Amino acid sequence: MTMTLAPARPGAAAGRATFAALAVRETRRFALNPVFLAAAGLTAYTLWIGQRSTVTEIDGANTIAAVFFGGFGMLVAFWLTRSMRASEPVAGVTPTTLPARTAALCATAIVPFGCGCLTLLAFLHFHPISDPVYGAFSLPARIAVLVGQIVVPSLGGPLLGVALGRWVRFPGAPFVLFLILSGWVNLVMALTLARPDSAPVAVLRLFAPFALFTLHSDAGVTAWRGSPWFFLGWQLALCVIAVLVALLRGAEGRLRSRIIRALGIVLAAAVIMLLLAGTGGFTHAVTT
Amino acid sequence: MAAVSISLRDVGRTFGATRALADIDLDLKPGVTGLLGPNGAGKTTLLRLLATALPPTQGQVRVLGRDPQVLAQRTCIRRQLGYQPQEIGFPRGFTAFAFVDYIALLKEWTEPAARHAEVRRVLDLVGLSDLGAKRIRAMSGGQRRRVALAQALLGSPPVLILDEPTTGVDPEQRVVLRTVLAEIARTSVVVLSTHQTEDVAALCERVIVLDRGRVRYDGPVTDLTGQAAGRVWLADEPDPAASVSWRTGTGRYRNVGARVRDGVEHVEPSLEDAYLLLRGGSPEPENAGEVAS
Repeated sequence: MTMTLAPARPGAAAGRATFAALAVRETRRFALNPVFLAAAGLTAYTLWIGQRSTVTEIDGANTIAAVFFGGFGMLVAFWLTRSMRASEPVAGVTPTTLPARTAALCATAIVPFGCGCLTLLAFLHFHPISDPVYGAFSLPARIAVLVGQIVVPSLGGPLLGVALGRWVRFPGAPFVLFLILSGWVNLVMALTLARPDSAPVAVLRLFAPFALFTLHSDAGVTAWRGSPWFFLGWQLALCVIAVLVALLRGAEGRLRSRIIRALGIVLAAAVIMLLLAGTGGFTHAVTT
Repeated sequence: MAAVSISLRDVGRTFGATRALADIDLDLKPGVTGLLGPNGAGKTTLLRLLATALPPTQGQVRVLGRDPQVLAQRTCIRRQLGYQPQEIGFPRGFTAFAFVDYIALLKEWTEPAARHAEVRRVLDLVGLSDLGAKRIRAMSGGQRRRVALAQALLGSPPVLILDEPTTGVDPEQRVVLRTVLAEIARTSVVVLSTHQTEDVAALCERVIVLDRGRVRYDGPVTDLTGQAAGRVWLADEPDPAASVSWRTGTGRYRNVGARVRDGVEHVEPSLEDAYLLLRGGSPEPENAGEVAS
């Protein structure tokens, strides 16, 4: 029997090329996942029918992307991350390390992030930034609110899914986390309604990857305490923490120490951002 | 004489209080080395050590002159390693081609055309060229084993570690796989763990018998078989003098034992006889007088 000699494999320098190819492969798997496709379809449909209805409170409409791209994206990323777990005896002895594979999975978040950006553009088309439904916030602050409620959750949800998939075995973990986060957002909103001018309550309200900034009532639109800009910084810090925690799994030697050091820095930055978000912006709730 | 590709010095591995391997000293060169032993003997642990999937708790392992404990050297080893584990799960929805292609990507085959050609080549080697588009979950156990073997063969690696590769594979395919492995073993170190002594007899120049984490025998297959010469005989009844007896298809009993009575009908020993003799002749009392079904 004659055997064809295999073509020469690339050398050690192929690490980056492998990462790029793997990221493309995983991104395709993410984008073609039926749950993600359903989420994208539902978001588009909701936006489309939403343009015909009157929006009195912008927070009632802009949670859609956070739920579909952030929440469903977290599920998809979790499944993708866990999908190779059974094949780990084989995948684990390839030259591509677990952190490199995790990084490729994190790169898939570019798909929901892109969808989040498109959703933001569509949202701004249907609900122009000058609408009174955005409350007393300045125009740039309104953009910050929308980015923090539409774009960043679309990015952060899948990243959180990857981190969960790397560390948690329980298959229902993303469902449970999604329920906990939703419950927390509603709970702190109830607290905010009771103590609208309290800075600690504002910090509590913003101590989440997603937060509401306005409320419509008979008196008008109330803009809550807190800085949307610093909240964006807090959200982005959470995204970086999710990536670092995911990468920590299987990291060895110098890489591990670097990740731990970076985690310390980002955690400190996150705490500062959260405090600034809670204490910045309006010093009390403003109704217009 | 071929250079040593894998060496183990005083290697041991424990899992908590359980000692899986102890005092293993081995040098492995290109060719097929068979690994035999009862369940729990430490075969899979030894293969995982060789495959860099597990570090030793004692001693030194060198694969292709490199130390798997050092991250950069481990990566170099993994570039030249094929490993088929005993147990492997497959991702849901993957076809045979997609799975092997995915592993090829992890093995740094980044150029799509070359990678696809290589995937087709290894699927062809294991006789799955027509089933590349079939979902793995819909495949039989033997076909899945062949998918697992196909990924190990990617790139014709210089070190090939196979844990029970022929389990569940039909006889025709086993013959094909033996041919494939024999061809690879011309230039590669192939270490093969199996319970199928006929695979070892047909394929391996060297056999290592592990028992309770220690090497009981290490040498040529023919020498091990030769140790059973004159110690295998047929009788109409199980012979109490034999270590192991079993009823053959002819209705007579094949007896294997170190103590042979005069006047018995000797037969040519097989590797299985020699292995059973080695096991039956062990000092452990539970093995004495065992009657295999």
